[in-house]
Amino acid sequence: MTTYILRRLLYAIPVLIGASFLVFISIRWVPGDPAVAIAGETATPELIAQIRQDMGLNEPLLVQYGIYLRRMFQGDMGNSVRSRLPVTDEIALRLPRTLQLASMSLLVAAAIGIPIGVLSATRANTWIDGGSMIFALLGVSMPIFWLGLMLIVLFAVTLPRWLGLNEPILPPTGTGTWKHMVLPTIALAANSMAIQARMTRACMLEVLRADYIRTARSKGLVERTVIYSHALRNALVPIVTIVGLQFGTLLGGAVLTETVFAWPGIGRLLIDAISFRDYPVIQGTVLVITLGFVLVNLLVDVLYAYLDPRIHYS
Amino acid sequence: MRKNSLITLLLLLGLLVFTACSGGSAADPTRAPATVSSTSSDNTSQSDTSTPAEPTPAPTVPQKLTIASGTDVENMNVHLVTASPSFSVLEHIYQTLFYMNTEGELEPLLAEKIEPGDEPQTFILTLRQGIQFSDGTPFNAEAVKANLDWVLNTDNAAPFRFLIDRIQEVVVVDDYTVQINLNSDFAPLAAHLSHGALAMISPAALEQGSEFLASNAIGTGPYLLSNWARAESVTLERNPDYWGEAPKIDTLVFQVITEDGARLVALESGTVDIAVRVPPAEAARLAANPNIDIITTPGLRTIYIFFNVTAEPFDDVRVRQAVNYAVDVQSIVTNLFDNAALVSQAPFASPIFGYSQQTPYARDLDKARELLAEAGVAEGTTVVLYHPTGRYIQDALVADAIRAQLREVGLNVELRTLEWTQYVPFVRAEAPDNQVQFAMLGWGTPTMDADYALYALFHSSQIPPGFNGAFYQNPEVDALLDEARTNPDPAAREAAYAEAIALIWNDAPWLFLYSEIQLTAVRTNVEGFVVHPNERLIATGASKR
Amino acid sequence: MAELANDSASRPNSGVKITLRRLFRSPGAVLGLIIVSLFLFISAAASYIAPHDYDLANFAMARRPPGAEHWFGNDEIGRDIFSRLLHGARLSLNVGLISVGIGLTVGTPLGLISGYFGGIIDMLIMRLIDIMLAFPSILLAILMVAIFGPSLQNAMIAIGIVSIPVYARLVRSSTLSVKEDLFVEASRGMGANHFRILLWHILPNTLAPIVVQSTLQIAAAIQASAALGFLGLGAPPDVPEWGNMLQKGRTYMISAPHIVVFPGLATLFVVLGFNLLGDGLRDALDPRLSR
Repeated sequence: MTTYILRRLLYAIPVLIGASFLVFISIRWVPGDPAVAIAGETATPELIAQIRQDMGLNEPLLVQYGIYLRRMFQGDMGNSVRSRLPVTDEIALRLPRTLQLASMSLLVAAAIGIPIGVLSATRANTWIDGGSMIFALLGVSMPIFWLGLMLIVLFAVTLPRWLGLNEPILPPTGTGTWKHMVLPTIALAANSMAIQARMTRACMLEVLRADYIRTARSKGLVERTVIYSHALRNALVPIVTIVGLQFGTLLGGAVLTETVFAWPGIGRLLIDAISFRDYPVIQGTVLVITLGFVLVNLLVDVLYAYLDPRIHYS
Repeated sequence: MRKNSLITLLLLLGLLVFTACSGGSAADPTRAPATVSSTSSDNTSQSDTSTPAEPTPAPTVPQKLTIASGTDVENMNVHLVTASPSFSVLEHIYQTLFYMNTEGELEPLLAEKIEPGDEPQTFILTLRQGIQFSDGTPFNAEAVKANLDWVLNTDNAAPFRFLIDRIQEVVVVDDYTVQINLNSDFAPLAAHLSHGALAMISPAALEQGSEFLASNAIGTGPYLLSNWARAESVTLERNPDYWGEAPKIDTLVFQVITEDGARLVALESGTVDIAVRVPPAEAARLAANPNIDIITTPGLRTIYIFFNVTAEPFDDVRVRQAVNYAVDVQSIVTNLFDNAALVSQAPFASPIFGYSQQTPYARDLDKARELLAEAGVAEGTTVVLYHPTGRYIQDALVADAIRAQLREVGLNVELRTLEWTQYVPFVRAEAPDNQVQFAMLGWGTPTMDADYALYALFHSSQIPPGFNGAFYQNPEVDALLDEARTNPDPAAREAAYAEAIALIWNDAPWLFLYSEIQLTAVRTNVEGFVVHPNERLIATGASKR
Repeated sequence: MAELANDSASRPNSGVKITLRRLFRSPGAVLGLIIVSLFLFISAAASYIAPHDYDLANFAMARRPPGAEHWFGNDEIGRDIFSRLLHGARLSLNVGLISVGIGLTVGTPLGLISGYFGGIIDMLIMRLIDIMLAFPSILLAILMVAIFGPSLQNAMIAIGIVSIPVYARLVRSSTLSVKEDLFVEASRGMGANHFRILLWHILPNTLAPIVVQSTLQIAAAIQASAALGFLGLGAPPDVPEWGNMLQKGRTYMISAPHIVVFPGLATLFVVLGFNLLGDGLRDALDPRLSR
């Protein structure tokens, strides 16, 4: 087991280096010039040349990457072009916000999605099943940024107007209170919830067909006991996997949700950095999101291996 | 099996609780912006200790004014920022030597006066006495020299260095007198010194380096930086030791709300007091709200589309004029801006010195078609229009509208947009590489003088990489602009500009559009809030009822 | 998702007829088929059925709400939203088909080669795929479009590239299971070369999961293209792409919500249609899940 984990960890290193190289190299193909971004609207060509020199943009690419990599291993991802603050600081400020949003959404999605899935599976082929699955498929098909916009219009404009209120029912943007979390969480959770409901249903159906369930039933156990203490427990292993993998997807989805709700997380940091050609920040955020994604997937795999007695890793 | 699934559940919960907790604790506003708030609270406490406790007895509860702005401060170093929203915040903390008031007149601020020196090409600057930076450092001639030298130092890559690049040397004469030696005659020096980017930072802070300056703000102004929650808000507290008249608002919050709609929702619900950049389409609805006033500020920024006069089909003046005739700017302003813009009647806005009104090209489709036919432009010719998105008020919308109107005279316009940082070098690419046919830009004239507005945009010496993106070259215009630049007689300058503008208007190197009007929505209980034509928000004189 | 899909088709399907019969028995799949057919029809016939010139702007009608003349109202410069949506359908279909085409043509050979030859080739390809999978897919697409410049073409390519790993893995695992089957052994014994085996014996057996996956992938591509358009990273501003319309209308969300409601609804329905159809196909092709 330990060897397996170690091996998976070792595998992650070349993947991360590969990913960082990919990002590093490709970003430098871009025609946009970060020196222009710093210099502003009225910059002279001399000033731009000066800034390019200072930023080391005139070095050969591989040299730039080598320097970047060495610094990164020392925990230094460079300074933001825009704010001139260390990229690590920028990310440290924003990352908790994204984790907060993503984990809240995961929690909400699991709390709704899993029960729906179980219900559908146990009532397979009834109207409850059909209805839940259409609901779930709507969730999968929903463009989340559009859902976000609709939620804002609904809770901040339309509903208050109907109810004759002077203020929005839920704040459309910003942070601070739990109320600020509600709309972004719903928007981000929608996709994930739907996927979990569908997967839970599929897993449950499979388990319910298994031999030991038939045995349990034939022993005359109450249906509820069969479902909850036998079937669900066994279905939980793959469900956990799916829930875990969703966390990574949520990190990606946060880019859109954070843009709609102006949520000051790492996703918006990335989008802002892209429009400002803030290379160090783009690299840093992509690397951190990728790292999180890889680690979560690794964790899920290990957990899965640990929990499922049928799977053995040498 | 049973044991395993139990562990699964526990681990799952553990994972969720772990992530949720780490997120939760960071959401705690007192902890979130760890680095920034700790350092900035340091400087507040410093200034507290530097003065004996002398709290102004406040008769009422402390007043707090919240301004919803569209973008966050780029960074706290006033010498390095470039965007208006950054200056709006920082000009409450940092002050300039002179202040350009909303009428375009210079007023003394940190400096009392500026006079020509005894030797040619020198100026003597007399400073106001008895002012301290919020860290206790005195404001004096050394401080002015330190700041100007910092900006002039090319290593610091200050974007507004060009404003003072004719300064050869800054000499400290005595504690409150500075001599500025120039390398050429330069009359508008005082006006240029009023630019926000040349505000005074404490020399002690300057010595601490760029990283310190990026997150700390130590100036002489009426407010102190209290907290900067990146991408969320900047909070300023009143400076108890401010040398001038104390502002009435104790706490000033600039809250970042990027989404136009969300900003208005926040204003209407009263969670913020002021919202910037009201979309013109929303202005009428907001104005109908008894709790909200709209401040209308004609800006100094003119929006235009320049033609590349060296490339087909716009190398023919008839084609350029045809486009001007085909586009109904008045209708765009009326219908799409709800009149929150002014149709251009010159290449720059009216409050600027040297303005000379021209007759706008009124919409005339027949004339446009005729001119196009004369010039041999076939029906259905495709041209590419470049425009920025989100840089100017409704920029993408205007491009779309122009496309729709040119379609009516048989021009097939393709729209292309680029991120600003790619856009600028693209539209200003040098001659052989320049691929622009026509492109949208805006030009503000903070010095309020036609020289700034015309020379860079129409003089033949300024073709790309300069700002004359049209590659417009007219020897007559060149001569007039040169004369107006050097002639000290204002009347002669005005005459020269009038003549140049008339020539430019007829040559039509631009599709002349409009100048912007800033719409700012303010709760009616706020008084004395000022929106400067240069897009700065000034809350120093504001109060709340 | 991919894993489930490939399980389903690891065994040869029992004939097109049975599959179709199963498909038509599922109401969801039929609904999906209807939506998709409608979408295809609109994409083909937009210019004939659009009630107005989709590109004609009447500034005085800007932001007008839905009415008898303009069913979905007018957009921010006074164009007919309904007609624009109809024309936008073709763009969405293009994005879906082309990006799926890219994913398919690159991913399938990769998966075939990887699964069939194994060893070092397999390892190299799979490490490459791992690197691509290290990014959340939307992030990778955003990054690529941001780098190569926003255009519809680049958006299609980016979305296509992002789907390569999905196909590669899907085809690889199908290949692995088919490879050991007797008939492959047999044909190899008879001296067929690798290319023939891959083309005639293995590829046909991976078709079913590919069809299912491609249907779902079109849905994902349309969704992704709208997302890129919304971030200003998709189609150029002058085309009526749905994400584009959303992005432009967003500013007027409060006083004229119809500008953003309809493009979003259109996206939702089309994506739903392809998802329903994909689900239906999967169920129909997978005997284990049959009722």
